[in-house]
Amino acid sequence: MKTKLFLILIVVCSPIYSQQIDFNSPQNIKLFADFLFCDKDYLRAIEEYEKYLKVIDSDTVKFKIALSYSLMNDQYSAFQKFSSANNSSTFYEQSGIEILKSLYLLKEDSLFYLFSNDLINSKSQFSNNAQKLLNTSILMTEKKLPDENIFFKPFENEEKIILRKFYNQKLNRPYKSEFAAGIFSAIIPGAGKIYTSNYGDGITAFILSGLLTYLAYTNFEHNHPTRAWIFTALGTGFYAGNVYGSVASAQIFNAKVNFDFENGLKIFLEEKNYFTPTYDLCK
Amino acid sequence: MIFVNKKIVFFVLLAIINLHPQTSLQQQFDTANELYNQEKYFNAITELKRLKLFDKENLYSFQSNLLIGKSYKAGAKFDEAIKYFTLAEMDATNDEGYFDSKILSARTNILRRTTKQAERILNELKYDSRFMLKANEIKYWQGWNYIFSDEWDKAYEIFSTNNLDTTLANLCKSVDEELYSVEFAKYSSYLIPGSGQFYTGEYISGALSIGWNILFGYLTINAFVEDRVFDGIMVGNFLWLRFYSGNIQNAEKFVVQKNLEISNKALKYLQFQFKGEKP
Repeated sequence: MKTKLFLILIVVCSPIYSQQIDFNSPQNIKLFADFLFCDKDYLRAIEEYEKYLKVIDSDTVKFKIALSYSLMNDQYSAFQKFSSANNSSTFYEQSGIEILKSLYLLKEDSLFYLFSNDLINSKSQFSNNAQKLLNTSILMTEKKLPDENIFFKPFENEEKIILRKFYNQKLNRPYKSEFAAGIFSAIIPGAGKIYTSNYGDGITAFILSGLLTYLAYTNFEHNHPTRAWIFTALGTGFYAGNVYGSVASAQIFNAKVNFDFENGLKIFLEEKNYFTPTYDLCK
Repeated sequence: MIFVNKKIVFFVLLAIINLHPQTSLQQQFDTANELYNQEKYFNAITELKRLKLFDKENLYSFQSNLLIGKSYKAGAKFDEAIKYFTLAEMDATNDEGYFDSKILSARTNILRRTTKQAERILNELKYDSRFMLKANEIKYWQGWNYIFSDEWDKAYEIFSTNNLDTTLANLCKSVDEELYSVEFAKYSSYLIPGSGQFYTGEYISGALSIGWNILFGYLTINAFVEDRVFDGIMVGNFLWLRFYSGNIQNAEKFVVQKNLEISNKALKYLQFQFKGEKP
């Protein structure tokens, strides 16, 4: 009877032993990697997915690795991983548009144009997305803009409204001439700064230059040469500074125009996630 | 006899069911702890997160969260560290664990320079009757919090009370004595332009300041004396007043800059040479 009982015990215990958690089983590695991926701990997720791939080949896992790199903004590694997807992969087309995003962010212009044209002509489900990214990217370059009808064709109405503002700004940037700013301030001190919308500085420059000139003039007139020369020297300094400052003010104004334009476009692209699709990988 | 054996079998089975998964979780925790002790913080966090995922009954939840927090803190990832210390605080099963999580959270806030947050946490512990015996430890970290808030005088008061830490008390006292007074620099510059700069050892700036003020003061007064009222108002308003107010602002700026240098020097000493416990 005792022997029977021990036998039963051994038989019953063996499946229980197998319940012991094997942290390094492929299923558990993937479970953990998915948890890390959805927790946005991408670096660790990559490490775990790589471990899983050593045992089991999976297109989804490969895609998730590439996506993790992209979400960590390591676009070079993302590009390499997305490029390794072969055309039998479930995520082949998604990889295409992701490659385009990586190339855009890597500022690999020639490759970006080449690849975007390939993707547009491939008639994949993301050809229109590629066209959108290509058109938006043109706004960032010195290239000639395509005709309005061609440019806005791939976009939705809501996108068109935002992009029209950038399109018009690109055609007619509200720059201020540095030369004109200098000349204006040479004729009327501070006028160049007012021309570049720097009103406070412009009015101050006008008052200070005028005051110092007046003081120098009246002191010469009342025969106080020492004071007169001090005010002359100060007035000349302020005058020269005001002309130079107006040129600099125009340069700053133009740099701000460029910055606002590029930053606005960057925010728009980030909001649109560079026209890449949204994935539901964390169900 | 058969009945007894059934009982044995039942208990053995129960023990196996409960012990074996627990053993593997314990092993996993030990591995992570070992990695932490070897200062391999990234790997320690990975293993602890793995443990957390498979620890369905949250047996190691408190320990894992605390150790993840400590690992993030060691890697200067303070935001993440505080998140995990807060989780540990929620999972704490006894007062000791709760206290440790709270103190670590406060220390991380000190390092992150969110000193108001650290102060709030430390005050909570201070007024919690469960931790009356830990009053000195709480005070010690309050002292450090004052150091990181640049309130060296208050830090000195705390460290010197009941000789809590004489080394730190002496250091705080010397730093406090070395610091320049913003008020003195400002108000002395109101009376004698340039004196605030002289007070902070910026002699050239002080000399220039007093020079400009004498020149434009002279020109202003002279203009009024000679009945050139318009000249006087213009020079006084646009030149003298400008240099006079500039001199006061400049004196204040120098004091702030010098005080920052003094504080940073003291913090550098604390970071590299102080042997006691640090945040």
